[in-house]
Amino acid sequence: MKTAATVKKNRSRRSLSKTDRFTLTTFVGIPTLLQIILLWVPAVVTIILSFTYWNGVRLKDIQWAGIQNYKNIFVNNPLFYQALKNNGTWLAFFVLIATPLGILLAYQIDRGIKGHAFYESIYYLPVVLSLAVIGIIWNFMLQPGGFVQGLMGRDIGNAISIWGNAKINTWVILGIASWRHIGYIMLLYLSGLKSVDPALKEAAAIDGATDWQIFRKIILPTMQPVNIIIVVITLIESLRAFDLVYIIYGSPTIFPLLNLLVFQNFAGQGISMKGAAYAVILLILCIVPIITYLRITFKEDLK
Amino acid sequence: MSEDKNIVSRRSVLKGAAVGGAALAAGSTLSAGSADAATRLKGSTVKWTTRGGGATGDKIAKAVNDAFTKKTGAKVVAQQVNSDDFQNNFAQILQGSPDDAFGWMAGYRSNHFGEMGLLADLTREIGHLKPTLSAAAIKGSTSPVSKKPYILPTTYYPWALHYRKSMVKDLGMNPEKINNWDDFVKLMTLTQKKGLVGYSLGAKGGWEAMGTFDILNARVNGYKYHIDLLNGRAKWTDARTKETFKYFAQLIPFMNTNFMDISWDGMRDLLLQKKTGAMMMGSWFANDFKAKSQADYDDLWVVPFPEINPKFGIDTIDAPLDGISVAANGKNVDGGKALAEFWASPEGIKEAIKAGDTNIYVSKSFDTSSYDAFNKQKLAVLASASNIMFFLDRDARGDFAGPVVGPAIQSFLQKPSDINKILENVQAQWDALPKN
Repeated sequence: MKTAATVKKNRSRRSLSKTDRFTLTTFVGIPTLLQIILLWVPAVVTIILSFTYWNGVRLKDIQWAGIQNYKNIFVNNPLFYQALKNNGTWLAFFVLIATPLGILLAYQIDRGIKGHAFYESIYYLPVVLSLAVIGIIWNFMLQPGGFVQGLMGRDIGNAISIWGNAKINTWVILGIASWRHIGYIMLLYLSGLKSVDPALKEAAAIDGATDWQIFRKIILPTMQPVNIIIVVITLIESLRAFDLVYIIYGSPTIFPLLNLLVFQNFAGQGISMKGAAYAVILLILCIVPIITYLRITFKEDLK
Repeated sequence: MSEDKNIVSRRSVLKGAAVGGAALAAGSTLSAGSADAATRLKGSTVKWTTRGGGATGDKIAKAVNDAFTKKTGAKVVAQQVNSDDFQNNFAQILQGSPDDAFGWMAGYRSNHFGEMGLLADLTREIGHLKPTLSAAAIKGSTSPVSKKPYILPTTYYPWALHYRKSMVKDLGMNPEKINNWDDFVKLMTLTQKKGLVGYSLGAKGGWEAMGTFDILNARVNGYKYHIDLLNGRAKWTDARTKETFKYFAQLIPFMNTNFMDISWDGMRDLLLQKKTGAMMMGSWFANDFKAKSQADYDDLWVVPFPEINPKFGIDTIDAPLDGISVAANGKNVDGGKALAEFWASPEGIKEAIKAGDTNIYVSKSFDTSSYDAFNKQKLAVLASASNIMFFLDRDARGDFAGPVVGPAIQSFLQKPSDINKILENVQAQWDALPKN
């Protein structure tokens, strides 16, 4: 028995040729190593640092803080709750409005409505711009003394308050972010739709299914892999939002987002490990829903 | 400001110039002291960073550095960086491979890094420059904790009330004399009646409004209380702090309603376009008036913020001090120190001014009689105060000023009635800071 097992083991090992083994080590080993060094080690260090007081300079200055950083964030900092609210609104808006709109557009364009090529390029255009560039463009349009204010005949003294107006700035910013997000989702979904066998749709139509039924019962299930990507992207884009708002405001104080708070407490003079604590909170907020979602979907797949 | 005070301040300025002459005479000992530095540095390379300033900044740096090379034989490699980026990454830059010397800011911003061993101790260099510096400038450059200087002071500017003389004249008021609180309120009221902005304020960046808070607190409660407050020795929840915010609330009806949308450049544009009565701002923006036209520059005026509490008069001003620091981890610390000293010396300043620098220098060596009217007035405004603050984000620790006080002032401006809650929160956040 013992020898047989060894032989079997040897054989399975031998079945990998030298080149195979080399390829495996290179393609799995090196990325894993990089992943551990560049991602996992800093993540663990950040988690540890979030329980300390430190200004990021001399190692000997690190003091144990216990949960003080978290306590300070949860109990004393009103910006944190505003940031949670803003990130939450961002997520809800993307999930309920922007992403479904992107899917709808993709579906319409895929059906080949009149002028679909025109619409496709129009909606796709903002996707080639980075959010930072989009921030610069819209700031140029809407800030006091900006282009749109000028069109309305308003100068810097009586310009309408947009970025600083808490009643509307959330919706203006989400509108701008959606401007890009919708096109992005449309593109992803469109590439998925192209690979759906048209025969399926035709068969359903012959059987008397309505458009909505075809979409729900045929398209959505066949598009499952793309759906997963879209849900994950929508989640991550909403929680990691940073560049657009940073370009417009420069600081997290008017429209706080979790990422802006991480940055503010990590950069420059204000460096403290409260930044690390914010990063950990953000990490948990990102990872928990994504892992839960992926586990549920893959479990269904296994059935 | 009263006429008397003006005379006194001009006299003291003249006195300063006279002392400066003596210092120039003593300059021979200065150069003799650095003569051995010249032989020592010959052939070495010193790296220099200019913090912003565009083409003018580069031109000034080249003029001063070339003169240094001529004098010592050391080569200077200069670069210009974005001011905000440099500031945000300062700790990381100093721990990496920093340039040897660079323009930097006094107060908490240099003391903090000096005490951690990242900026070089400049005791010897400030000793060389002593004949040309006032006691206040030396004190301002020295860390109160380690008692060592980490910066050689060069330029400063007042944060004070700016307005346009022509606009004040049009309102039937005397443009040279906005002396007291009543004049100030009258100026704002009349400007507002014309459909313009009485008092312009930007709060988008979170720091611009700190200038108004600083001066109000100093006028209402005095210099000592203000500094105590910023360093945790007084409470934000104190009735005296609330009194300051009561005065701040009085200004809000005169302000532009879009204050959360504009930053310091928006404030500048409001004044440039004749759309506002007055504003609190650092005088550095005057260069932009000059760039637009000489007429605009000549129209610009600056006076001390009016008195509120007669007990303190107008004895305090925000006058951030800038200077040259040397990285402790630079490749050529010795060369960096020599270059920094040259920049802050009468010789270096002469080169900078020749190359187009309009700042006012703390060095007494410079003949102020060649100053234009606005710069002379800046000096008079500075001389009217006996207590110098450095601005809130240089007087308070970095993990408190930007992340806590800035947002608190913004919340107050948006909802002044919440002030008690806001101040309780600021105090709670101060109490939660790690104490060193």
